[in-house]
Amino acid sequence: MKHVRLLGLALVLAALLFSASAGVAQERGITPTEIVIGSTVPLSGPASYWGLGVGGGIDAYLKSINDAGGINGRKFRTVLLDDSYLPARAAVNVRELVERHNVFAIVGMIGTANAFASRGYILESKTLWITPTTNDIWAGLRDRKYLFVTYPSYHNEGRILTEYAAKSLGTKSIAVFYQNDEYGLGLVRGVKYGVAQAKGIKFAGQASYEVTDADVSAQAVKLRATGADTVFIAATPTQGALIVREMGKLGWRPRLLATFTLGDPVMFRLAGEAWNDIYIGAYFPIPGTDPKLDEMLATLIKYNAALRNSPYNALAGVSFVEPLVEAIRRAGPNLTKDGVVAALESLRNWDGAVARSVTFGKDRRQGLNRIFIVKAENGKYVKVTDWISYQTQF
Amino acid sequence: MVDLAQFVVGGLATGTLYGLVALGIVLLYRSSRVLNFAHGDLAALGAFIAFTMLVQLGWPFLTSVAVSLGATAAAGALFYFVVLRPVKEATLLGRIVVTLGLALVLSGAITLLWGADTKVFPFPLSELRGYRLGGVFVSHLRLGLSAAGLALMGALYLLVQRTRVGLAMRAVSQDLVAAQALGIPARRIFALTWGLAGALGAAAGILTAPVTLLTPFMMLDPFLKGFAAAVLGGMDSMPGAVLGGWLLGMAESLFAGYVSVKFKTTLAFVIIILMLMVRPEGLLGREFHRRV
Repeated sequence: MKHVRLLGLALVLAALLFSASAGVAQERGITPTEIVIGSTVPLSGPASYWGLGVGGGIDAYLKSINDAGGINGRKFRTVLLDDSYLPARAAVNVRELVERHNVFAIVGMIGTANAFASRGYILESKTLWITPTTNDIWAGLRDRKYLFVTYPSYHNEGRILTEYAAKSLGTKSIAVFYQNDEYGLGLVRGVKYGVAQAKGIKFAGQASYEVTDADVSAQAVKLRATGADTVFIAATPTQGALIVREMGKLGWRPRLLATFTLGDPVMFRLAGEAWNDIYIGAYFPIPGTDPKLDEMLATLIKYNAALRNSPYNALAGVSFVEPLVEAIRRAGPNLTKDGVVAALESLRNWDGAVARSVTFGKDRRQGLNRIFIVKAENGKYVKVTDWISYQTQF
Repeated sequence: MVDLAQFVVGGLATGTLYGLVALGIVLLYRSSRVLNFAHGDLAALGAFIAFTMLVQLGWPFLTSVAVSLGATAAAGALFYFVVLRPVKEATLLGRIVVTLGLALVLSGAITLLWGADTKVFPFPLSELRGYRLGGVFVSHLRLGLSAAGLALMGALYLLVQRTRVGLAMRAVSQDLVAAQALGIPARRIFALTWGLAGALGAAAGILTAPVTLLTPFMMLDPFLKGFAAAVLGGMDSMPGAVLGGWLLGMAESLFAGYVSVKFKTTLAFVIIILMLMVRPEGLLGREFHRRV
């Protein structure tokens, strides 16, 4: 009987020891040969142009790293799930990524509303989350240890472009055409803040659309009725092109400003002539002007020829994931989540192939603090300002 | 006043599109009582086929359109033979859900084959050039689109009301068993109806694409609005579908202009609910009685 008891005790102890050691060695999403990275993006639905570009960019970039030998013997495996730009599906997808696919980190996520719906689960499950493309939706959330963002804030972009228009372009009154969700509203707030900061400019009005809208003619008439001399566009590429065409039909040519999400050269094809002279924010170099960036674009296209049609979005995808790849490299062969967090926090003015001057720190999770402004001229974007800095928020 | 006229003109042009989509929905509903949820995706398929002919193969416009209409009609008829016919014992709701499945398959296939990026659909008429009457602008494209829409509606009306095939379609829709007993080849008539609806969808897709730009999901909104227009006009009335489209297009445009842009999309669904409460058969539809 005594022997049996001793044997039982030994078994329990062995089991406890095994599980404890397994807990130390086993980091979710990491094996000796593999690192699992996940993302949820719109691969179908009205925003799939963004999702396929960004998701394709992330996937192609990680494949190129794998083909170059991976990092410390490990190769990346990418899991891309489709959320159709629907917040409810994005929230379910992140659960699936964490609980079923056991991802080490989630990269990106398109849509402020989607990130808003998923942020509670991701932060509470202590999953590493790199660059959801959102507004600043982090105020009031305390535990942001595993969140890192290399994406400018829409609020600051709206403000900076508005101030620039007031100071340098002679804008006296500005109206906004925006998507009726947190993405569009963030930019509306930014423009209003810019109006409050600058002198001699007033906010003339705003007109919204839903992401599935196929007709924005009424919005164009409404915007004209505000009497604005400048219109800020915070839309998807499709609706952005449609509103510019509708304004052209009315014979109304206000000065145009737009967010960097409309920075893809595809806009020249969609909106035609009317896209010339528009002013847009940018947070990485313009393709065709920077050898390092152009080389990256060529690599991406080699892996996925379809990315030729959305170069800007594909490069944006790389800008989201490359700081993570650098941190994984710095964290060394004994890879842990906290090791990667420490490595990310050590990035100071780090230049990637796409993202430039990324800085994180113990209390800093917003990696970028500057944008510049480009102008569309003869089917090309031309830089019109140097970098303009803003205060990081978190 | 100029704004009011512009809202009305814009609403009418958009309404023609809604009416065209509604016609395809009504045509199928009249003959088989199946509400085809894949109608919008068939329309998008038609537009993409025409796009390939025009841009990638460099074919002339009219040839491309004719091939696209034919191919989409064939796709519609094929769907009837391969999928709907074998599940003929399923309930009506079951068959409607099958069309929902077709919608998902088609939109996935289109994204896979042509990509999700927005494309410009080359059209002989310009959206940016047109006529300006006292500050109100009507583009060549919208005018041509309205004319083509009206011509298609007229042709369809003649086909259904004035030809033997149309008579057979009406007979099958009214009493299937009696029609079959009288020697009407019901299967062929149903396949023809699906084919016609497909071609009508493709025409709607080709006329919508230059306005909304070409994406796999461009028909999402026009399909829902076309459905609302069909309910408004009467699910079994073809003139009703056209009238419903115009009324909905104008109501939306005026509502967006003078009440709220934000609730413009909601308006279509409010109209459906009100119509079903007040006059379930629609403006021009006939009340449906069945003896027990």
